[in-house]
Amino acid sequence: MLELFAQSETAQFGQFLLLGLVLGSLYALIALGYTMVYGIIELINFAHGDLFMLGSFLALQLSAWWLRYVVGDANSAGAVIGLLFVMLLVTPLACAALNVATDRVIYKPLRSSPKLTVIVSAIGVSFIFMNVGLFWMGATPVKFPDLIPDTNLTPDTGVVVTWKDVMVIGVTIPAMIALTLFVKFTSLGKAMRATAQNPTAAQLMGINVDRVIAVTFAIGGALAGVASVVYGLYIKAVEYQMGFQNGLYAFTAAVLGGIGNIPGAVLGGLVIGVVGELGKAYVGAKWSEALIFGILILVLLFRPTGLLGARIREKV
Amino acid sequence: MSSALLEVTDLEAGYGPINVLHKLSLRVDRGEIVAMIGANGAGKTTTLMCLSGVVRARAGKIAFEGRDLVADRVPAHDIVKLGLAQSPEGRKIFSRLTVLENLEMGAFTRSDKDGVKADIEKAFVMFPILRERQHQAGGLLSGGQQQMLAIARALMARPKLLLLDEPSLGLAPQIVVQIFDVIKELNKAGVSVLLVEQNARMALKVAHRGYVLETGRITFTDKADVLLNDPRIRAAYLGE
Repeated sequence: MLELFAQSETAQFGQFLLLGLVLGSLYALIALGYTMVYGIIELINFAHGDLFMLGSFLALQLSAWWLRYVVGDANSAGAVIGLLFVMLLVTPLACAALNVATDRVIYKPLRSSPKLTVIVSAIGVSFIFMNVGLFWMGATPVKFPDLIPDTNLTPDTGVVVTWKDVMVIGVTIPAMIALTLFVKFTSLGKAMRATAQNPTAAQLMGINVDRVIAVTFAIGGALAGVASVVYGLYIKAVEYQMGFQNGLYAFTAAVLGGIGNIPGAVLGGLVIGVVGELGKAYVGAKWSEALIFGILILVLLFRPTGLLGARIREKV
Repeated sequence: MSSALLEVTDLEAGYGPINVLHKLSLRVDRGEIVAMIGANGAGKTTTLMCLSGVVRARAGKIAFEGRDLVADRVPAHDIVKLGLAQSPEGRKIFSRLTVLENLEMGAFTRSDKDGVKADIEKAFVMFPILRERQHQAGGLLSGGQQQMLAIARALMARPKLLLLDEPSLGLAPQIVVQIFDVIKELNKAGVSVLLVEQNARMALKVAHRGYVLETGRITFTDKADVLLNDPRIRAAYLGE
């Protein structure tokens, strides 16, 4: 922390910007889950943030088990890398499975009900998840193991870049690139876009729409799982309500970028992360949320479909 | 073994508490163009959506090549694979996919990459404008071009039976003529067609046989030229 005081103004700005980008890319990962599900079935899945919370709890549980049953020594590099690998594999898979199961059991039977019915049930699921989290880890924040060293990798620049920053960028960017390639070029990805644009026509093409919806929930859940591990490692503390605030930011990011739009969710997440952090630094911490939502309202006033929202109308 | 490709018997379907189709029966033989004409709300689109499995039949039989799609509960995504494809009312183009991607979606159930490529080429020969526009978003095409794309897209499934819902809707007369020429050509190439139209005259001119649908019931059926000359049909559907 001492280093921070010695930073020049530009370096300080760089530091806040870096933190904003890091948090922003986490919001982006969560926002993708909101935006993809909305794109396909027009459901704002309010439980998505809480799924993210459960993911980080699972990662925490995994690390406890890992230390107890697999390795005794938390300090060896091999043990840490093994644990990171397990967390980044198991957590996304579990979140994907839970997201698909929730859709199967709760949202799918309501597919032809009014939109509001499904949204209210999503709010219900959100509370259920939150309560599961409360029972699991209790009401107070829990320390997440500090597995990644805080070594300053760029000592000469004045901006502190640690392995943690590298980890966030190194995990989130490839995840987003993989998703973009999947949606753009694979046949299932194209089927996803087609279903989002016109579900009836998709059925007429022989696309199994139920399967496409399940895959969408799986991918959204997996990305939330990735975000939850990365968040725990970066912030080093988790608690049962973290899904609410981060989910709200992520949802806002999705709307800001244009709900249903994948690059939009990424852009929205980064904008919100950067604006939030710079706002905290230069306007004051109590104003940062007002600033974020002020920008959201301004953007929506002038571009109701969001920054990258669809501009092509259906021709009838 | 009859020559019927599609044989619908006593079909009932609807939405919520309302039944739209009442004991509807019709037949399409191999190699035929069959027209179904009727006013708005008669149940023409519901019939086609039922055949494609998008709307569930409540009772009756839909025998396609002898297999009952209703009794076997064949889902919509498998019906295309059996050889029954549809170009829906209002075109339903994927507006943010490119023209090429729209065509690829039509071939979603196929895995023969070379065959798909060859069929895309065929579609471009049939509708040269689609080749020119292949990298543009489908939503940017004009109405007539979208109709061509919708037909080409349905053909990408290599259907034995092509369902066409209102292919002339909202199009300039010149384009309508062009679209109907294509329908005749496709039929000559061996595709059977069930054509739903409000433009009864055009439809009955290309069709071999026709059905008249009124509030979910078939009220007339005959050879197309007989229907064209029937005074009741002329009065009700041909504006004479």
